[in-house]
Amino acid sequence: MMRGPEARVRFITFLLIVVLMLLVMQLVRIQLLEHPAYAQEARALVERYYALPSPPWGLVTDRNGDLLVGNQPVFDVGAEVEMIGDPVAAAERLAPHLHRPVGEIVAALTLRPEEQERPFVWHPLAQGISQADAEALSALHLPWLTLTPSWRRVYPEGHLAAHLLGFVNAEGDGYGLLAYEQRLLRGERVVQMGEVTGSSAPMPEEAVSGFTMPYPGTTLRLTIDRTIQAFVEGELDKALHDYSAESGTIIVMDPRTGAILAMASRPVYEPEHYASYAKEDETSLFLDPAISLAYEPGSVFKLVTVAAALDAGVADLDWSYEDRGYLDYGGIRVYNWDRRAYGQQDLEGLLAHSLNVGAATLATQALGAERFYDYVRAFGFGQTTGIELMEEAPGILRVPGDWQWKDSDLATNAFGQGIAVTPLQMATAVAAIANDGRLMTPYVVAERRYPDGRVVPILPREAGRPISARTARTMWTLMARAVEREVPQAQVPGYRIAGKTGTAQIPVEGGYDPEAIVASFVGFGPIPDPQLLVFVKLDRPHVPPEMRWGSTTAAPVFRRVASRLFTLLHIPPSEAAEGP
Amino acid sequence: MSVLWQKRTHGVPRRRRQWERTVAIAIVALTLVVTLLILAYLTLVASNVRLARQIWEVGEAVMTQERVNEALRVEIARQSAIPRLQERSLALGFVPAEKVDFVRLDEEGGER
Repeated sequence: MMRGPEARVRFITFLLIVVLMLLVMQLVRIQLLEHPAYAQEARALVERYYALPSPPWGLVTDRNGDLLVGNQPVFDVGAEVEMIGDPVAAAERLAPHLHRPVGEIVAALTLRPEEQERPFVWHPLAQGISQADAEALSALHLPWLTLTPSWRRVYPEGHLAAHLLGFVNAEGDGYGLLAYEQRLLRGERVVQMGEVTGSSAPMPEEAVSGFTMPYPGTTLRLTIDRTIQAFVEGELDKALHDYSAESGTIIVMDPRTGAILAMASRPVYEPEHYASYAKEDETSLFLDPAISLAYEPGSVFKLVTVAAALDAGVADLDWSYEDRGYLDYGGIRVYNWDRRAYGQQDLEGLLAHSLNVGAATLATQALGAERFYDYVRAFGFGQTTGIELMEEAPGILRVPGDWQWKDSDLATNAFGQGIAVTPLQMATAVAAIANDGRLMTPYVVAERRYPDGRVVPILPREAGRPISARTARTMWTLMARAVEREVPQAQVPGYRIAGKTGTAQIPVEGGYDPEAIVASFVGFGPIPDPQLLVFVKLDRPHVPPEMRWGSTTAAPVFRRVASRLFTLLHIPPSEAAEGP
Repeated sequence: MSVLWQKRTHGVPRRRRQWERTVAIAIVALTLVVTLLILAYLTLVASNVRLARQIWEVGEAVMTQERVNEALRVEIARQSAIPRLQERSLALGFVPAEKVDFVRLDEEGGER
């Protein structure tokens, strides 16, 4: 048996070994056996879901690259509520920079009963705070305050092309192009789990541990030209003022491609401040009358009837009928607009005098219901045009077989009554006549510019060929002669214009409003190389009854718009186009 | 050789002396290598953290510049917006065009 120092040394060695073993066992237990639990606990302490700053939305520019919708850098403010000691004192410090009443901020900073047991509670305080306010808030050094960089959509041109551009609200609902193309325009926001700092910002190590960089939105270059758009809006405002009209629409289109050069409607709103309109319950302003509100087109629709009859071969330039001032069909009597009888009339006379009886005669006696409605559908009525704008309406088209359709509808539809179309549908259909019978899908996006540098041009799309080129050219002649004979107000010096007026009654319960009309004019030119189509519609002009016609209200507006645009677009006069 | 070892061998030095020296050198060398590896690892980790910080700062700077850029883009667009241009043109004495005509030139460039 050992005694003395050796025994003590052995004993101490034994103790050290035991302690070492205990330590090793603990290490094994913690690092191996219970590692997952501890790792999870550790992660729970330092890891949170964090959102990287939102990338900017894609820009929207006009055809020349001028900015129409951009991004203003702003900040969203929030608070980690469980860390706040005195909500009232905190609210008083925040109020001047959040621009909210102290009471509202106190409510936002106070823990709700159901949140008392939760470890981390975050409440939003304000959105869209300016850079200056954000800097002032940051200078307060409040550890529980979170400032998240964000963006606000801005419209540098104000209400220019407001209906066309539209907006998107926080829920992703909206109107116009921004709502329709929001998946392209909106950048990809990155929200992921990772280690965060005390102020819930991601740790710098996260930068190399593989977070995904936010992907900005795609920039869209439009077909519209802001100069043309501004001019057209100015002319529309002037027309509404001159004729005391309640509302109106002007569409300018390149009939060869379907590209929209300008599209304006009144009344208008400021898309940047859409929320204030929503608060005032003025959301009806958001609907674009050019694509969402259907109206009875009236005499302009006779173009479709005449084109259909020519194309079907049931009428030609020699076709004529005896106009007695009325036609009985389907249990109703159809009258001309002035209730006059015009005697023997051909297609040119039908269009020049805008004879309801002539159009009804063509549809009922020459075409028949089946062929008439086939053509109406081929021209794109009763369906959306496919333009990249939200809330496009298909209009109302009743066809044989529908329970609401009556025989008399064939006669009235022939001159644009009992059928509802959108201004864009009407413009697109007439553009098909201008474009040698090719119906083009109207479009507003000319080009997509992806953030990776790819540029994808959007090509014009043909939607169909409702009529032949020969029929279209015959229609040019008829329409041009009609303008020259009966609508001098629409003529542009030096340019041959093909067009048609429309004076439609407004349906009300039990019939038509005897006092109100929709005056319209659609025309294109210069013949023989149509490069521009202008559609003008004025709703309920309050003018003396003798002036309450498309030819006296909408046609002069057409002339002003077309004459200026021919110059702006460098379109030479007809004489030059025809050659010596 | 320690007293303890001497006692264990009853004061007689072992023949494995040379071997023990070799082992000792190996242990020291191993320790050195391990220490160097640990140092290298720690240096690498520190470098990574520093780089991460730099990347983070560069990312923040890029984001800040992008935000400034967007703000400037919007401001430029506001200043060159059509209502603003009209306002400035009128202030400069320009008037809206009333009548615009083509000037037709003959082949020699003369007006006709």
